[in-house]
Amino acid sequence: MYSGQQKPLLLNYALIGVFLILFLSIFNLQIIESTKYTTIAEKNFVRIKTLFPIRGEIYDRKYRAIVLNKPSYNLYISLNKIQDKKQVTEFISQNFDLSLDEINKIIYDNRFRLYKDVLVVQNISFGKMVKISEQMNYYPSLSLKSEKIRNYLYNNHFAGYTGRINENEYTKYKEQGYSINSYIGKSGLEKYYEDLLRGKNGYQLLQVDASGKNLQFFKHNLDEPPVNGVSLILTIDNDLQYYISSIFPKEKNGAIVVMDVKTGGILAYVSKPDFNQNIFSENLTTKQWNDIINDPAKPMLDRIIHGTYPPASVFKLIMATLALEDEVINEKTKLTRCEGGMWFGNRYFKCWWEKGHGRLNVLDAIKYSCDVFFYDLSTQFSLEQINNFTKENMLTIRTGVDLPGERNGFFPTRKWYKDNYGKYVGIIGHKVNLAIGQGEVLVTPLQICAYYAALGNNGKWLKPHLLTKTITDTESNYIQPEIKQLPVSQKNMALIQQSLFNAVNESYGTGVAASLSSVSVFGKTGSAENHMGKKTHSWFAGYARQDEFEIAFVVFLENAGHGGSISAPIARKIIQYYYNLEKS
Amino acid sequence: MREFDWVTLLLLVMLLTCGIITIYSASTTKTGNDFQTDNYYLKQIIWIIIAFIITFLIIRTPYSVIEIMIPPAYIISIMLLIIVLFMPEIKGSQRWIPLGLFNFQPSELAKLTTILLVTKLISKPHITNWQIISRSFIIFLIPIILIFLEPDLGTSLCLIVSFFVILIASDISAFYIILIISPLISIIASFSLIIFIIYILILIYILFKTNLDKIIIGFAVVLNTFFFLITPFIWNSLKEYQQNRILTFIDPMRDPFGAGYQIIQSRIAIGSGGFWGKGFLMGTQKNLNFLPEHHTDFIFSVIGEEFGFLGCTIILLIYFLFLYRIVRKINMLKRKEFRFAAIGILAYLTFQIFINIGMNIGIVPTTGIPLPFISYGGSNLLINILAIGLVLKFLNERSIFE
Repeated sequence: MYSGQQKPLLLNYALIGVFLILFLSIFNLQIIESTKYTTIAEKNFVRIKTLFPIRGEIYDRKYRAIVLNKPSYNLYISLNKIQDKKQVTEFISQNFDLSLDEINKIIYDNRFRLYKDVLVVQNISFGKMVKISEQMNYYPSLSLKSEKIRNYLYNNHFAGYTGRINENEYTKYKEQGYSINSYIGKSGLEKYYEDLLRGKNGYQLLQVDASGKNLQFFKHNLDEPPVNGVSLILTIDNDLQYYISSIFPKEKNGAIVVMDVKTGGILAYVSKPDFNQNIFSENLTTKQWNDIINDPAKPMLDRIIHGTYPPASVFKLIMATLALEDEVINEKTKLTRCEGGMWFGNRYFKCWWEKGHGRLNVLDAIKYSCDVFFYDLSTQFSLEQINNFTKENMLTIRTGVDLPGERNGFFPTRKWYKDNYGKYVGIIGHKVNLAIGQGEVLVTPLQICAYYAALGNNGKWLKPHLLTKTITDTESNYIQPEIKQLPVSQKNMALIQQSLFNAVNESYGTGVAASLSSVSVFGKTGSAENHMGKKTHSWFAGYARQDEFEIAFVVFLENAGHGGSISAPIARKIIQYYYNLEKS
Repeated sequence: MREFDWVTLLLLVMLLTCGIITIYSASTTKTGNDFQTDNYYLKQIIWIIIAFIITFLIIRTPYSVIEIMIPPAYIISIMLLIIVLFMPEIKGSQRWIPLGLFNFQPSELAKLTTILLVTKLISKPHITNWQIISRSFIIFLIPIILIFLEPDLGTSLCLIVSFFVILIASDISAFYIILIISPLISIIASFSLIIFIIYILILIYILFKTNLDKIIIGFAVVLNTFFFLITPFIWNSLKEYQQNRILTFIDPMRDPFGAGYQIIQSRIAIGSGGFWGKGFLMGTQKNLNFLPEHHTDFIFSVIGEEFGFLGCTIILLIYFLFLYRIVRKINMLKRKEFRFAAIGILAYLTFQIFINIGMNIGIVPTTGIPLPFISYGGSNLLINILAIGLVLKFLNERSIFE
């Protein structure tokens, strides 16, 4: 108990010791070394300079440019050098399209970034730059810098776009070396391959005083040079891309994809309407932004992977192969006579050909796209069987293309119907509709293209992709070729291929508008009824072969009419153009 | 009879006032001739008023009532520390529970309740040395681990320091304390064989002097040698980035783009203040991007820059007088638990002051501890004022037992 008496004495000494250490250290810092630190503070010698890398560019398969960097003149303000705030803000406001409030907000938001250059205006025209540079001497806080911004040579959805990092992204990616003035990929390849394109920041530690003497606060020399981003070489063919854009029906929305059957490389990727991605690296006005966002045609929507649509008759092959594989039918089996429709209970389901196709086998059912044949087939399978088989054929699931935000599409389940239509919903009627690709089933145009490419490749499904390699590589290291085998036997595959050939090349086939004399074209039409308008969505999907070149394609147009009359002729033009291109 | 220590209270109010003034300056930015101030100083004033009201109520509550509330308060603190681990991250750690108007920091509450519970348990009569050590160890270990997981190294260290100081203050023999502390020194000494041998010799000498059994001395030596031998293995099994992280903690200058940059800029701010300082609101270094915590953890750099050596000395002097007055009176506390609790509270306050100022002037590693009574911050300020209120209450009530 009494030993406690001496303990506080120990505490006394500890307390005195602690405060003595602090006092002496402060004395050393503020009295002995004060001059040194005062000089540093005034001249701000110790600073980190971030050295930004140059972003990689994007080229097509023949090394022709798609996305390049171009110089841009930007105005920066350094808050610590402001002498008269009012004068500076008025100068900026008079010369540029910024209100005093907007400028004051920029200054306030960056008030703790005193020694960093804060961006005020970007993309200043050369004339303007010459004009203001004369007056710049009066405003030491302002500086003009020449930097690089993106230049998208043509409108497209696959490259995406970059933009200034926003506060949210900045907090999230700050650790990875992004600065508040950084650009970051916001969509498309720019986002997907951000890490490759961006490169790595470098740093330089400035700790030299006026006489050039190294102040040596830091023993370790940790200067790091920046690592520039790598350029990407794509599978895209610019010629084909331009050509498809030029023949794309005006005022129509839709998507066209062309794929190399042997590799899964995407040769053309056109979604319309599109938008000029360059506006995002320039001074985007609120009006411009609202115009894009509120445009009912949704120009920013990438219809190839973000749009999901009923596949209609291009889906019929799934039902046909399912029936053949399950040996419910063979190539000779003829089903119910088509008299322009078919009764299920008290509901009558019409065939698109009101006069009726008569009794057909599977070859002819595909060639004429007879609905009744597939209505009849739907009774032979459960919803789950059709769903599973659809997914085994890589439809209604993501393809894994190297783009961000790809959508799955949709195939309804029994549970889904119960949740949405009540417990006692009848499935049969829905199933009849699903069998011809109508109703709730939704796919992306890219899934359809990959599926038809697999049919052309004898059942070997390849993951569609855009990147071939980086400009420094000789071989591709970034795309893992993903191969799946469709659950279709060689015999049945040959039958399906024959039916696709007949549909285009025999008289009265639905796809005859796509036939060419010099190229073997295989394809299937589709006309999807939908809630978006009176006219059907127009599909034409298939593949074409000449010598060693083989391409798959999908031509999809929203509310444009019938696949055979609208999409098939466009497909024909594309095929013809492609093979002329390969020959020359 | 009852005499309240008005001088100590006055010193506390002086510290709080210095805090408000500095927070005002720290949250003011100057661009050219134009000043802009954030309202942190107003929030701080509101916090001080709230803290004083709560403290007043607690001083008025009989200690018997407070005593009953200690174990539940400890359990609630622990539960809050667990809850906080599921909260969204703020600035890379999970320290705060958002409560709409403000963010509550449970580790601050845990600091006080842990000290109170430990001192209550180890003050019971006829308690053995091992009971003291084991009880306080377990009760301290739970919050230390939970706070370390947030991660909040600074507050964990605060608790560890309180733990040792309470052990030293309690009546256990010095041997146990040496036994607990010695492996830590062994770990540090393990980087050089010569230093370790010298250290072991000193240890044996001290233990001989305390007339301990040879078996116990042998045990202590074996234990220390074990730690000496195992440390290199553990160190080499760490990944390079883990080693780097530890080395950077000890020597921030290894990382001039991160931790080191803050310290060098803080040193520049304080050093450039000179004797008189640059004057109120006239600091130039405080608005730098590198110190987002200029009104919290790095507030001392603002004092150093604007009020100079004179201002720093005055602050140190007020702190010293404030703590010294209390330390001198702790002798008079005859009730053990009051004495231990007061010592524990003083230990962590002193530790916080030392670590915070030391970090600002670059003599200790950066750990993110606020400066008591001066830094902006609700939970920390509230608990610190409350803790001092309790100490004053103990001192005030001593007369009853005399």
